[in-house]
Parts: sequence; structure tokens; C-alpha cells
Amino acid sequence: MTRPPLLARVLLRLMLPSRIHEAIANDLEEQWHTAGRSRVGYWTGVLRSIADVWRGGADRPGARPHGGVWRAIGADARFGARMMGRHRGFAAAAVLTLAIGIGASSAVFSAVWPILFDPLPYADSGRIVLVADRTNDGAALDVTYGTYRELLARSRAFESLAVVRSWQPVLTGPTEAERLEGGRVTAAYFDVLRTTLALGAGFDPADDRRGAPRAVILSDALWRRRFAADAAVLGTELTLGPNRYTVIGILPRTFEDMLLPGAEIWTLLQYDPALPLDGAEWGHHLRMVARLRDNVSIATARRELDEMARAPQPQFPRVPWASLANGFVVDALQEEITRGARPALLAFSAAVMLVLVIATANVANLLLARIVQRRREFAMRAALGASRGRLLGQLLVEGVMLALPAGAVGLLVARTAVNALVALGPVGLPRAHTVEIDGRVLAFSMALTFLVAIAVAFFPAVHASRDGLQSTLRDGGRTAPGGARAVRQGLVIAEVALALVLLISASLLFRSLNELVAISPGFDPSQVVAVQVQTSGVKFGEDDTVRQFFDTVVERISSVPGVTAVAAASQVPFGGGMADRYGITTERDYAGAGDTAEDGSAYRYAVTPEYFRVMAVSLRRGRLLEDADRRGAQPVVVISESLARRRFPGTDPIGHRLHVGPTDRPWFTVVGIVGDVIQESLETGEANAVYLTPGQWHFPDPTMWIVAKASAAHGLPAAIRGAVRFVDRDQPVVRVTTMDALLAGATAGRRFALLVFGVFGAVALVLAVTGLYTTLARSVTERTREIGVRAALGASRAEILALILRQGLGLTAVGLVLGVAGALNATRLLETMLFGTSAVEPWTYAVVTALFSLVAAAACLVPAARAVAVDPAITLRAE
Amino acid sequence: MRTYLGEFEQLLLLALIQLEDDAYGARIRTLIEERAARPVSPGAIYTALDRLERRGLVVSRLGDPTPQRGGKRKRYYSIEPEGAELLRRSHAALARMAHGLQPRHELP
Repeated sequence: MTRPPLLARVLLRLMLPSRIHEAIANDLEEQWHTAGRSRVGYWTGVLRSIADVWRGGADRPGARPHGGVWRAIGADARFGARMMGRHRGFAAAAVLTLAIGIGASSAVFSAVWPILFDPLPYADSGRIVLVADRTNDGAALDVTYGTYRELLARSRAFESLAVVRSWQPVLTGPTEAERLEGGRVTAAYFDVLRTTLALGAGFDPADDRRGAPRAVILSDALWRRRFAADAAVLGTELTLGPNRYTVIGILPRTFEDMLLPGAEIWTLLQYDPALPLDGAEWGHHLRMVARLRDNVSIATARRELDEMARAPQPQFPRVPWASLANGFVVDALQEEITRGARPALLAFSAAVMLVLVIATANVANLLLARIVQRRREFAMRAALGASRGRLLGQLLVEGVMLALPAGAVGLLVARTAVNALVALGPVGLPRAHTVEIDGRVLAFSMALTFLVAIAVAFFPAVHASRDGLQSTLRDGGRTAPGGARAVRQGLVIAEVALALVLLISASLLFRSLNELVAISPGFDPSQVVAVQVQTSGVKFGEDDTVRQFFDTVVERISSVPGVTAVAAASQVPFGGGMADRYGITTERDYAGAGDTAEDGSAYRYAVTPEYFRVMAVSLRRGRLLEDADRRGAQPVVVISESLARRRFPGTDPIGHRLHVGPTDRPWFTVVGIVGDVIQESLETGEANAVYLTPGQWHFPDPTMWIVAKASAAHGLPAAIRGAVRFVDRDQPVVRVTTMDALLAGATAGRRFALLVFGVFGAVALVLAVTGLYTTLARSVTERTREIGVRAALGASRAEILALILRQGLGLTAVGLVLGVAGALNATRLLETMLFGTSAVEPWTYAVVTALFSLVAAAACLVPAARAVAVDPAITLRAE
Repeated sequence: MRTYLGEFEQLLLLALIQLEDDAYGARIRTLIEERAARPVSPGAIYTALDRLERRGLVVSRLGDPTPQRGGKRKRYYSIEPEGAELLRRSHAALARMAHGLQPRHELP
């Protein structure tokens, strides 16, 4: 190290008047060389020197404020209050601007922090992982019960391991029937989450089999709502759907199921350990959750599981669709839960920081302009004996006086914004209920407020310290010194650049949304009402009763006036919930001609024949399902185009046979091919699907959607409810919606991100343009005399207009160039949120930049017009 | 214009007289630290010297570059007749005030 620390030297340069800076710097450097080049020693010297200079020397009279520091602050505050009172417009504008910045930052902080960084509400939650099958393309797929049994027996990495699936039982009893959210879990589930019951005992592992006694554990909320928090409920029986369950335990009030949001009741999975091929035991519909042993890392667990996947053992037979050929996906639960929201939340944080910086720069700029106006006042005070430190102190106090009310107003802004965030946020936002204005947010806002106060006071303070204040008295303090002008212009350039980054980001998100909305989902959602109905109760124990129920409901609704088509379907596109997928095995697979590496699962739709007409799904080849395709007839299936392409490349699938799920059942014969319908995500567009009639499916679906197309959808939901009630008054209607609403839900997250960026971008634009306008207006005022002279010397109005416009647009141009460069880098953060458009899409950049220039030009015209109106005679006479 | 000198200003002027041709920041600082036993920063020294110079009590000139300072030049200070006069007056005033008090307060 041949020079002292750079940062200290820069600080020294910034904080000392140039007149004495060199001498002091040289002395300190010599001292640093002779004193063993101590970093700490140098810093001490620098800081003490700055303090001494700012205090006005060692024994300057008045160096210590009369009556102590607090009294000085009080005096400064009184003075600042007088100044603010005299310039109410300025104060209000500054406070409001800062309030927007602080408020928006606090709101985003309150949302981002708990969602991304708070540990999950379980003891040692960092050791909880999710285990999933890996598909051919590397994605995670829910595991089968068979795989769970194998891992349970073979894996050594986990202290406990469980699987879980959602469960929506209907609770009937003396009071009204209620459909509950719940889960079916294996016995170790609450051990994995390390949760002990508040009352009663946990599940008995021995009961986790077919035919064992049924037991449930209740959430604290359900216990209070339905059972008045009565401990006597333990040991009593509840009727849930067709079965009776014994209440064996109550969870603590604080328990929250992160895997099954909203779950209030849990029972044992009770699958068959004999793993019959035709049961649910080999369906990919279970989420596996495990707790790592203390000395095992995620990486070790991954390795162990992948080795196990590669080495099957005869006592753990596997099926072709759960062969574990691609190994497992193992992720921390926390990461998994926040994964979807993380990129958006981080992007929001970055965006709001830009808004805050722009707001701060704007107010710093305003203050700097005011300081230039107040130079005579400062010079006078300095001449009367105020030290630099006292003047700096006053500036800081004034900064705090602007920031404090701004912080208070900002908290109000934040509260409104947080409510809006939670209300407008996409449904999938994890842990949204933990978002609130709490002590942490308060502390964050306070810290931000003081930082902002220091930041807005910094530029004026440095300016006041660097410039010999004494010279001001002589030149009359009319024009801004070069240094201040450069800083102000730099701030405006920064504002323009950052605002452009935000606007380009918002535009890219807008384009993405448009691209996505332009994708055809493969069905016509207009005028289609969708109602989800669940069957429950003892009478539905028989398969035929369930099928009969839905048939009757469909028949009854078809006679409702205005209904043109109605159908029942086991699932509908974008209907949410767990997607219903089954492995597809074709005859060709058996012949060895098929692609054996294909995991080949597809969405399974059990639909009544009218379904295709209701949803306007188009027939490509062959025929649609017909009423004749009932139970007992030859099983037939209609497949989607993409499944046809994928599983029957180069051949006509019609007439070929395939298994959907279990392979020991009769073959389904392909009779038709329909257009692709996107089931879950417009982004991935996954549309491999099979359609078959409910009568020919292996079991009746207890929950079905009734979809109806009507010339006037208005009033239809009530009619459908009426029809359901007429057929059987005990069956709960779970959900009433329209296909339009379900489809809109698929883009809700993007609409929300666009809204946030749009609002931030608009605020940034207004602030940046205001900053540009005030800087230019101030400059015109300062140059009035120069302009007058130019006019007197024969400059035309056009020339004067051009002079001012050139100044304003020059600043804008530099800002825009920097902004484009910034956006090229910053929008990479957005990449995961973009769809169908590149982060460096040139048209978006060009259009946004051009529009920005137009707005900036408009803002420059007003001061320019004022400059043109300057009357040389008056200006010169005023001298 | 003030017609008196602060205590630190007196120390500085005394140091300039003491150091004659070798009075630059670092030496002045060392001298004051040794003799007056109080730590001072370069910031304090130059602020005060700058003020004294603007009052016409001291003058400064830039010396030749020396290798110890990486080729940087030193700023040497020397006392002006006005400075010497004011220092003498301040000193005399102090002495007159202290006159006759030595036995009671062990003043020098």
C-alpha cells in the first residue's frame, strides 16, 4: 500500500474547502508514512481534521453553540419551521414526494420480508424438505404411494418422512353441512413439521391401512368454530361424507399447514400397503415432505435418493410410470413455497428502491436550489461567526424536518398500499396474511426517514462547505456557482435515467401480458358458467348413485331457459386444485415401438359428451364422445392433438388402444382427436389430455364441475344451484364461477406485477419530469440577465427558445442514454417474469424512450417560453 | 477586525517563531503536541492558520517538492510583523493580569 485508504482521501476531498484541503491531505499522508501506514491512524486523522475544520478551528469563538447542541438544534428547528411556513408550497411538495418514496418502500418491505425471509412457523424449519419425482424434462412431479413406501423403508437421510394429499370432506351434523379444507396424511406428518398436539394424541401408524378405524385431528380454529372449544369433543365421532371419524386430537392455535393452505382437518391416508396396481397407490398425486437428520445436508440427501432410484430392489417393485428413471427433485420447503413469488418480489424491491432514489434526488434538488437562493443568508451567518458545522447542522435539521412528516405520511401511504397489495395480490401469494405494518416495518420506515434526511441534506451541505461562503456576499448571490449547477444537473440526469429503467420494465411486462392474453387456450370461455359440486353422504357409497346424481343434475339444468349446452366434467381448464394426471401406456409401448423414456402422463377428463360443445373444443379427426359410450360398452377415448403427436408420431392414432393409469384394465380405443386445450398454465401450454365418459372411467369422481353455456349467463348460477338442490338438497355447491373468470385468474399474477410496475413507473416519470422542469425554470431565472443581454444584442426569439430547449433536452438525452444502458442490465432481473418477449426487445426501448423525450420536451417548453418573454430593456435597467 | 488572539492562535504563532524557516504543518503539530501536551489535528492547525493568514498576521509560501511526501510540496508559514505585535500585546496583557499573583497561585 503506497497511498492511504482511497475512501478516506475522497471523503477528505469532499468535506474540506479546496483552499486548505491540499495542505491537510499532504500532512496526513506524511504522518501516515511515518506512523507505520496504519489504516486506523489515517482514518482517525481524517475524521478529526474534518471535525476540527467544520467546528471552525480549535478555539474559535462561537465554535461551540451557545447553550449546547440541543439548544442549537432547537434554534435550527425553529428557524427551519419559519422557513417552511414562508415557503409552504415548497415544503408540501418536498414532504409529499418523500412520503411517496418512503411509503412505497415500507409497503414493499412489509410484503417482501416476511414472505421471503421469515422462517416457516415450524421448529428447525430449515431441515424440512420436499421430495418429488423428476420428469423427463427435469420438472417435479408428485410421488406415488408406492415410491413413498420404498423410500420409507430404504432411505437413511431422513429423521421422518410423510406424504400428504388434499382432502375436502363435507361435515354434516345437527347444524348446516360444511365443506372443509383438509388433508390426508401418513402418520409421521406432524413429526416432520415437529408439531405437538395441544390436546389428545397423534395418529397411530398401525391405523394407516385400508379398513382401520378412522380418526381425525382438528385445527384450533375448527375446534372453536364448530365445537365451542370443548375438550369433550375428543373421543366423539363426526360424520364426514359417507363415513364416521373419531376426533383424537386438537392442534395448537399457532399451527398453520404450509403444504395445505387453509387446512383445518387431517386424517390418515389409509392406502393399501399391498400396493394394488389398480388403486390410487400408484397415482402421482402425493406430496412427500421429510425432515433431514441433523448431520445430513440437502446435497447428501439428493445423492442418497438418486443412488436409490438407480438401484431398484426386488422387494420394492416399481411400475413403468413411476420407475424413478430420472431420480428425484429435493428442495427446501421454504424455498419451494416462496419460489413462485420470489422473482416478482425481488423485482418489486428493486423497483421501489428506484422510486425512492428518484424521490430523494428530487427533494435534494429542490433543497439545493433553495440553498443557492439562501446563499446570502448563509454567508451572512458565516460572517457573523457561525461555523461550518453549525451551518451543516442547520441543513441536517431542515432535512429531518422535511423527512419526519414525510415518514409519518409515508406510513399512511404504506398502510393503504399494503391493504391494496394483499387485496389485489394473486391468490397464490404465499403467506399473504403475514403481511402487515408491524414494529419491524415501523423501524424500517424510521431508518429510511433518517437516511433520506441525510441524503437530501448531503448535496446542499457539501456545496455549502466547499464554496467559500464569504465570496457570496461580494457577488450578490444571484447566480448559482458552477459546482451547484453541475450537482443539480447530475441529479436530474439520474432521475431521468432511473425513471426510464422503470418505464421500460413496465412496458416489457405489458408486452408479456399481451402476448399471453393473445394465446388461445383452446376453448371458448364466453358465456360459460362453471359450478363445482361435491357428492357426500352414505347414499353415495354406491358408484352408480354418484353417476346417477350428476346425470340427473345435467339433465335438469339443460331444461333451464337460455341454456344451450350443459355437461359434467371431472376437471376444467384453470379450475385450480390438484391437476388430475394419469400415466398413458400405449400398445406400441408394449411392442417396444414406443418411446420408453417417455413418462407420458396426460390430463384425464371424465366428461359427458356435451362437454366439447359447451367449451367449443374443436374436433380434428374421428368422432367425439357419444351417449352410447356408456358403462359396459367398449371403452373409448378422445385424445388431444399434442398427445397424438407425442405418443403416436408418424401414425394415425385412431383405432389404437391405450391404458389410462392402471394397465390391468380393459384397453381404451382412440376414436377421435380434438384441438389442444391448455389446462394449467398459459406459459407452458401443456395440453396432453385424454377425454372419456364418466361411465367408462374406473371409478366415479365424487366431485364434478357442471359447465353450462347460455345465451344469457346472468341468473344461470342461481338456476344451477336450484337444480342441484332439487336433485338432492344435502349436496354442497363448492364453487360458482365462470370460465372467463378462471381464465383471467391465469394471468392475475402478471396483471398484478404490471400494476405495481405501472404505478411505480408513472410516479417515477412525474417526479423526473418535475425535477427537469424545476431545474430548467430555476436556470432560466438565474440566467435572466444573460438572456436579456443576448436579446439586446440581437438574438432572435427562436435562438433563445433553442438555447433553453437545448439545455433541457441535453440533460434528458444524457439521462435517456444512461437509462437505456441501465435498463439493458436491470431488466435481466425481470427475465423470469417476461413471456414471449426479450428483456432487450428494441421496439419497446425505442418507443418508451421516444415517448419520454416528448414528455420531457413538453416540460422544457414552459421555462423556455418564459425565457423568450424576457424583456431586455427591463432586465438591463434593473442592474 | 478582532484585536486579540485565542489561546490556540497564540500557540501557533509561538510555534512559527520557534521553528523559523521550518514551520510547516507537520512540524508545527509535533511541536505543539510536545510542548503544550495537547493533541491537535492538521484540520485544526490549517483552519486556524488560514484564518490568521486572512487577517494578515502570517504569510505562507509553497516549498520545493520533497521525496518523503511523494513529491508533494509543503506549505511553509512565517509570522508577519502585525502578527508578532499582536502576539506581544496578548502576551503582555496576560502577564499584566497575572502580575503579583505568583505567590498565591504558583503561576510562573
